[in-house]
Amino acid sequence: MTQPSTVGQRTAIARREGSRRRSQLTAYLYLLPALMIIIGITYFSVFYNAWVSTLDWNGIDPNPDQVGGANYLKIARDPIFWTSVSHVAVFGVVTVIVQMVAGLGLALVLGGPIVGRGVYKALVFIPVVLAPAAISTAFRQFLRPDGQVNDVLQGIGLASMQQAWIADPKFALYALAAVNIFQWTGFSFMLYQAALSQIDQNHLEAAQLDGAGTWRTIRHIVIPQLRPTHLTLALTGVIGSLKTFDIVFLITGGGPGRSTEFLTTYIYKQSIMQFHVGYGAALSVVMLLLALILTLVQTRIYKLDRED
Amino acid sequence: MFSRPTWRSRVGYQLLATILILPFAVPLLWIVTISFQGAGPTANYNAVFTQTPFVRFLLNSLLISIGTVALVFVCTMLAGYALGKLKFRGRELIFTGILAGLMLPAIALIVPLFMMVRRFGLFNNYLAVIVPLAAVLLPMTILLTRNFMKGIPDELLDAARIDGATSFGALTRIVIPLSRPIIAVVIVWAFLNSWNEFLLPLLFLQDTSLQAVTQIPTYFTSTYGSDVPKIFAALVLMCLPIVIAYLAFQKFFERGLTAGALK
Repeated sequence: MTQPSTVGQRTAIARREGSRRRSQLTAYLYLLPALMIIIGITYFSVFYNAWVSTLDWNGIDPNPDQVGGANYLKIARDPIFWTSVSHVAVFGVVTVIVQMVAGLGLALVLGGPIVGRGVYKALVFIPVVLAPAAISTAFRQFLRPDGQVNDVLQGIGLASMQQAWIADPKFALYALAAVNIFQWTGFSFMLYQAALSQIDQNHLEAAQLDGAGTWRTIRHIVIPQLRPTHLTLALTGVIGSLKTFDIVFLITGGGPGRSTEFLTTYIYKQSIMQFHVGYGAALSVVMLLLALILTLVQTRIYKLDRED
Repeated sequence: MFSRPTWRSRVGYQLLATILILPFAVPLLWIVTISFQGAGPTANYNAVFTQTPFVRFLLNSLLISIGTVALVFVCTMLAGYALGKLKFRGRELIFTGILAGLMLPAIALIVPLFMMVRRFGLFNNYLAVIVPLAAVLLPMTILLTRNFMKGIPDELLDAARIDGATSFGALTRIVIPLSRPIIAVVIVWAFLNSWNEFLLPLLFLQDTSLQAVTQIPTYFTSTYGSDVPKIFAALVLMCLPIVIAYLAFQKFFERGLTAGALK
């Protein structure tokens, strides 16, 4: 950079500096509303949680006891916490696998020569836009011992398969997974459909001319090419399972017993219903950490995948 | 998509598609048919309107959704513009700081939110629902908007500035009109999430006259017992606005819901 030699140049630079500073200031002003909300709610909450998690507190007592890491030690030894985590894992794995298979199947079949494709697509996608609260209320009825699901089983001659579903600890978690699958398959269907439309048609036709059957074309050409979509769906599905609250809270409330307790319902019960605010905050911190780890894994895998 | 369809493969596809669709279509059909049972359709739907504060709940949810959409829209446009189009110190740091909230589960914030709402006396105030919702939605909407706005050529903005436009003028007259596709996605995303939100109204809106549509089922069961057909009539009515909105703006809904995953 050369030294400004004349007064004119110097003032021009000063003006540019000034306008740059002013435009810097405007940029911060534009960010202010969003940052106020994000810092005021999200960041404040995360730190407040961390602080409350070191207290033995009912949320009301003005002088709560400092207990250090005691709440976290309690979590490590809390069987309900570990069952909740295992429920989330089972629910997540079942949901992700079924949803991906069903979504891909639907996308492949509806990619064929179908009359009324628009109607079919809308029917799969409508559950995605409905409130989980509405879907939960409906399925609570459908899954009763005298509900519609058992009626259908009876109707098609499978009366021996009738169950109490949500009232039976053996089936309740899977019943919830089924409801979740009903709600979210439209989402994986949409993503697969978008990805399928981008696969090179010549590639497929070449395979067909080679004499590869439809099934083999799907297995060896279509499925491997959809890798980024599989990854996205698996990871968003697992994170989504961790966050699931409405369906569980409204259909089983975590029961029967603790057979469908999730981390989310457990946090709700501890902090809101039983006033174990310190313990609830510690559970929230653990959940935030799990969400953070999953997100980091997600971005990491995306990056690795793109480098391939 | 695959080999040229013969009529046999056509029938095969149609049949397969119909079978695959049943698990989705049948429960939706049940919701409607159950609402017609019992006292009959007229009586059921009439009861929802006349004996319950259903219309009230609907209006409340509309207010919450409009408030959330407006707040998210304003914050997102301003922040997306700054992060995508302006140069300033700490830009990447601030962007990363916003993205950190991307996967945040709202349920993990209930203890602090509860304390804040109590401290500021915001129980039964829509702000207690709207502001936390915005906090959860903003990272995603800002990410999408920032990426979209980044793609708008700088030359357009420079030209506007030469014509004497302020940076805010460039935002409202050039960037926002060009960002219509992503704005539609932001609005759909914010509307859908606020309309369907269950937890925050459950925690902070206890006054019946202020509750949201997602609280209808619980309200009904506790007040009117288990008159199943009437509860289902209410379900149909609470789903109807969103289904109509979806069918009217299908493309935006599908893009809006999948945009986050595709980025």
